[in-house]
Amino acid sequence: MTAAGLALIAVGVRGVVTDLDAAAWLAWFAGAAILHDGVLVPVVLAAGLATRRLPAASRRVVHAALITAACTTAVALPLVLGRGRRADEPSRLPLPYDRNLAIVLAAITVAAAAAIAARAIAARRQGRSRPADRGRT
Amino acid sequence: MVRRPALVRPRPPAVLTSLPARFSSRLHDERVAAWLGMALGVSFLSAFATGLISHFMQHPPAWAQWPSRPVNLYRVSQGVHVIGGLATVPLLLAKLWTVYPKLWQWPPVRSAAHGLRRLAVFALVGGALFQFVTGVLNIAYWYAFPFLFTTAHYWTAYIVIGALLVHAADQWPKARRTVMTRPQDAVGRRAFLLTVAGAGGVIAATTAGEAFTPLARLAVLAPRRPGTGPQGLPVNRSAAAAGVTAPARDPGWRLTVTGRVARELTLSLDDLRALPQHTARLPIACVEGWSADGAWRGVRLRDLLAMAGAPAGARVRIESLQRGGIYRTSQVAPPHWRDPLTLLALGLNGEPLHLDHGYPCRLIAPNRPGVMQTKWVHRVVVE
Repeated sequence: MTAAGLALIAVGVRGVVTDLDAAAWLAWFAGAAILHDGVLVPVVLAAGLATRRLPAASRRVVHAALITAACTTAVALPLVLGRGRRADEPSRLPLPYDRNLAIVLAAITVAAAAAIAARAIAARRQGRSRPADRGRT
Repeated sequence: MVRRPALVRPRPPAVLTSLPARFSSRLHDERVAAWLGMALGVSFLSAFATGLISHFMQHPPAWAQWPSRPVNLYRVSQGVHVIGGLATVPLLLAKLWTVYPKLWQWPPVRSAAHGLRRLAVFALVGGALFQFVTGVLNIAYWYAFPFLFTTAHYWTAYIVIGALLVHAADQWPKARRTVMTRPQDAVGRRAFLLTVAGAGGVIAATTAGEAFTPLARLAVLAPRRPGTGPQGLPVNRSAAAAGVTAPARDPGWRLTVTGRVARELTLSLDDLRALPQHTARLPIACVEGWSADGAWRGVRLRDLLAMAGAPAGARVRIESLQRGGIYRTSQVAPPHWRDPLTLLALGLNGEPLHLDHGYPCRLIAPNRPGVMQTKWVHRVVVE
């Protein structure tokens, strides 16, 4: 499997060198990795630190909401920026993507808030119906 | 003279050597990385297979012939490629976050073999990010990169899949251990993995409707909307952008059937309308992943070629009025031109073809990428 993998890498590298401006390709190839490792992940780690003060029960829900919102935004960002719009081809990027992304993010926020509220209510009910369990957490 | 012992080197600062231990989340863990890795492996192989289908449909090797059926094969395969790729974004980012502490391992290189292994991981990470970034930009028509997308995406795919095989061979024992054993700790892996899957699901749900029309209204973050465009169908390249507005509207327009034929044909638009007309419900299935059905009406290509007396095994080249561009012409192999659904369409959804859909005459055939459904046709050359 390793030999097959190395052979495929060689095929790809040969194609890049013969068919493409290899320097420009390499800039995007390495640039993507450097920006990811040097900017994106540190931002995510900082966001993780910022949520540390939240109570444990809601922290997971907040993390899930942040992950979903951030990934959706990353994929939708080129549409929101709309750099690919052309006046003579109105069926290309035809929707108001800024508004649509805002709606999707709002829906994620509402879902997260509902999940936190549901957990809080369930926890309180459990506490009330089983008083013997109180203080055993 | 005092000689320093050769083995004593200045010790690197502790902030470097202890960095990986400072990541406090317990999700930076072998099991999480292995589950995400296995899912990514499946997703990448699916993207590679569907990508190769798309590539070789457009650049068929001499020995291969693509079938013209099932009608929606290319539509499904390219939809899986693009929508599946978009839904994989959270998987990839989660996997890279999980293994991020390993980036800062100390010493960075322990041996030649370890160095090579890390180089293969760099090829995998750089290549995967490259494919996702260029792919997402390309479907948004944002050509920010200084190279041709298809060529770069195609060759980089081999590097990614090659590096994936090297990495999978290297990590096999860990994946095996993950699948075959039950964790004995209480790390909340399942919630994290479900979150990642859910994020992929949200992306798929808000984009899949650009290819799967019943979900069109949900596709609020897709670059296309079925039903939006002239005559209810999206357009990739307008007549104005292709520079064919004047020659396409010219009443002197004629369709010629030429090349290796018994009788050359020269037909006006009225001549074409006088021939037997057929209707075919076929999708435009774009390489960018979107697709939408239309009811096309026109002359069967095989009827036209029979009138001209073309040999049964001939390949046919369809030429557009466009002056240049890589999609000015397209090849039609015998399985496609003999198919009764393959038309030189003159109408769409009950109206004469809109200028941006290829007026006066365009090719429409089943199981074929949209870039090969040549518009503004003026020559059919039998080779």
